[in-house]
Amino acid sequence: MATVTNTPVSDLLKSFKLKTKQQELLIRVSILCLVYILAFIIRLFSVLRYESMIHEFDPYFNYRTTLYLTQNGFYDFWNWFDYESWYPLGRIIGGTLYPGLMVTAVLIYRILHFLRFAVHIREVCVLTAPFFASNTTLVAYFFGKEIWDTGAGLVAAILIAICPGYISRSVAGSYDNEGVAIFALLFTFYLFVKAVNTGSLAWSLASAFGYFYMVSAWGGYVFIINLIPLYVLVLLITGRYSMRLYIAYNCMYVLGMLLAMQIRFVGFQHVQSGEHMAAMGVFFLMQVFYFLDWVKHMLSDTKLFQAFLRITVTCAVAVGTIALGLGMLSGYISPWTGRFYSLLDPTYAKDHIPIIASVSEHQPTAWSSFMFDYHILLFLFPAGLYFCFKRLSDATIFIVMYGLTSMYFAGVMVRLILVATPAVCLISAIAVSATVKNLTVLLRSKNKGVLTGSTKGSSSSKASSKALLDQSQPFQKNGAIALLFGAFYLLSKYATHCTWVTSEAYSSPSIVLAARGAHGNRVIFDDYREAYFWLRQNTPADAKVMSWWDYGYQITAMGNRTVIVDNNTWNNTHIATVGRAMSSYEDEAIEIMRSLDVDYVLVVFGGVTGYSSDDINKFLWMVRIGGGVFPVIKEPDYLVNGEYRVDKGAAPKMLNCLMYKLCYYRFGEMLTEYGKPPGYDRARGVEIGNKDIKLEHLEEAFTTSNWIVRIYKVKPPNNRW
Amino acid sequence: MSQKTKMAPKPDPQSASIVSAVDATALFSMDPFFHILKIVPYSFLRPPRLRLKLPSFSLPSAMTVFSLILLTYFLVVSGFIYDVIVEPPGIGSTQDPVTGAVRPVVFLPGRVNGQYIIEGLSSGFMFVLGGIGIVLLDLALDKNRARSIKVSYSIAGIFSIVIAYVMTLLFVRIKIPGYLR
Repeated sequence: MATVTNTPVSDLLKSFKLKTKQQELLIRVSILCLVYILAFIIRLFSVLRYESMIHEFDPYFNYRTTLYLTQNGFYDFWNWFDYESWYPLGRIIGGTLYPGLMVTAVLIYRILHFLRFAVHIREVCVLTAPFFASNTTLVAYFFGKEIWDTGAGLVAAILIAICPGYISRSVAGSYDNEGVAIFALLFTFYLFVKAVNTGSLAWSLASAFGYFYMVSAWGGYVFIINLIPLYVLVLLITGRYSMRLYIAYNCMYVLGMLLAMQIRFVGFQHVQSGEHMAAMGVFFLMQVFYFLDWVKHMLSDTKLFQAFLRITVTCAVAVGTIALGLGMLSGYISPWTGRFYSLLDPTYAKDHIPIIASVSEHQPTAWSSFMFDYHILLFLFPAGLYFCFKRLSDATIFIVMYGLTSMYFAGVMVRLILVATPAVCLISAIAVSATVKNLTVLLRSKNKGVLTGSTKGSSSSKASSKALLDQSQPFQKNGAIALLFGAFYLLSKYATHCTWVTSEAYSSPSIVLAARGAHGNRVIFDDYREAYFWLRQNTPADAKVMSWWDYGYQITAMGNRTVIVDNNTWNNTHIATVGRAMSSYEDEAIEIMRSLDVDYVLVVFGGVTGYSSDDINKFLWMVRIGGGVFPVIKEPDYLVNGEYRVDKGAAPKMLNCLMYKLCYYRFGEMLTEYGKPPGYDRARGVEIGNKDIKLEHLEEAFTTSNWIVRIYKVKPPNNRW
Repeated sequence: MSQKTKMAPKPDPQSASIVSAVDATALFSMDPFFHILKIVPYSFLRPPRLRLKLPSFSLPSAMTVFSLILLTYFLVVSGFIYDVIVEPPGIGSTQDPVTGAVRPVVFLPGRVNGQYIIEGLSSGFMFVLGGIGIVLLDLALDKNRARSIKVSYSIAGIFSIVIAYVMTLLFVRIKIPGYLR
């Protein structure tokens, strides 16, 4: 018998003892808080190793536009015509970008300033992506709760917090559209599934606003506007038409379409572009379904209704096809653009659009990329699909479709592994949650005498089978405990893998290079920023810089100088002109450069350091893109027996073209490696062919300390003939 | 609270066509084409008596769809699209510097995003095996089976998961030499 002590301490302790429901709530909230913090801090590797800076190429453009937005306000930003890029064409920035990211960052900046935290806008930009990654984990929790149950939601939040597929594009410093867009994508999907499940008008309108945020953030919104109609179509085919679906889809489509047209870059594409026609078709199909339902409700005669049904369906399909055909023939509805068409037909880009084919992120995915980015989620994904198929509902059908379509696209293009990550995490979470639930049910089952297997028993043998069952129960319990430990082991290996991958592979700011020195110490190459700063300080303010399009954004943002082409790649002919200049002899190239008013030429060269992403390795793409527009440039001229060489056996056109001369100027006297002759190119591993280079129309202006970036000045024409 | 009416109009073409055939011959028709047709070919031509049925379209079961999806997943995850576009060889080869003999190389070294065909297919098979292992474990916990089948399912499931995980880690260690170091 327990003795009851009436001390005030024990009374106090008893008042703190929580009921089970409150305990569960406490555990859930604390797990979510920890996951939120974890998702933020795992992305901070590069900030701790280097400094708080913007990575890569595209984020520099976003940073520059955000800076402009903070300095000049929204209306100037929205109507901005930039004369500092794509000289002499300029670029209408207000109409050719997705403003969601910049507006979000500036909003956070203003809130922090209102609270009297005087941070610089760069810090806000660097940390925007990890902040939104943390928010994505919360959305994943609610989404998992909607699809399956709270356990699956918690596991989904944990998995997506550290999944390398998401981390790769949302580290601190990667200030790019995807960081915000994945949050918007998952949020829109969550709101839409909630709307379909509840049939409430409020949730449908909220999903329309979520869609608007997604449209403002990323060009990948096309995925949403095609997946949701496909999902509605699948529901209609499997006979799950309901009033909830009708309300949800109609509200989301109409309001979402109207809101999306507010973004100038999108414009009227929702009614004019072939990529958006599926949504409109399904919208009209839903009206037909509703109409048929209403007629069936009014009619009492089944045979008449069948006849009416056949006529209506035939008419609707015919009218729709005719309308679509008319639209496409008259040119009002534009066909699928090359970027998205190459997702449906992956061989298209290789043959027709070299610019898209040249980007390394657009290559198809090999198994090791999948393994790197997903680890054990690749095992859990099919298992999760099985559980979803076992318990089919509107929500699980959605997540299955999202998972399958996004996995297919992830197989087509490496970059799209990012879009598949939330679906893979959610489905894997379902597998984990269902398996663990099964095992714990086994653990907690008491000896109630439940017959689990033997059906051969009559009432007299029930006793013996019960005894058999009692014998196997502890074995089952031990087995379940062992399997739970196994599951725990696998998940901990996943966490180790994710942390290792993030630390080694995804935390490098591509603008600062690191390598291991001879004694294992870390050597940092900061050549890019050195060169851009030199440009900023030592060239006249209206100087124009010609370089390959990769570096355009960085030159404009950090060097503050006008560039000829940049990463936007909206004008293929302009890029081809630069490519032609780089691959011609110096005399032809100087004509092109004078016509473009070029003052400085910038090239990237990795021969001294062994840096392999330099312009000589990218040179064949310059030839291909240039040759695509100017047939003067022929790719076989630069190859020897189909092989690309820079040593003595290289083609004469290769040895004398502008790019070769600019990269290897004075390199022939340079000793790069012990035991190798001077002029040994460490990136290609050969001794260069043409060591005695003389430049006639250009002179060397600046070479960085490790020879990575080289800047040349275009000499003015001679005074006298 | 919004309405939750669930109506699923499912057109039934087979019975409708039989019904309409009966209707057309039995009842008076206002259709001018029908009257013309009655006179012009069909006064001297006799349509044969056939028993035709329109193919009825029924949705496949959930598990059939699941097995098709598993097959597609195997193809995607083993890098099939990469194989179709980049067209790597089935297996690589390297020449032994000393003896000059040509040795096969299974895993494409050096890059994360590159593969030969056979390494892709074998890794994809391992992933699907792991997934099937978890499915078998769930089947083993189903109450309505004989105990021996449950035990064999659970053992097969555990073995599949263990083998798939170990082999996958082995493949990754061979392909990326600096893995987890």
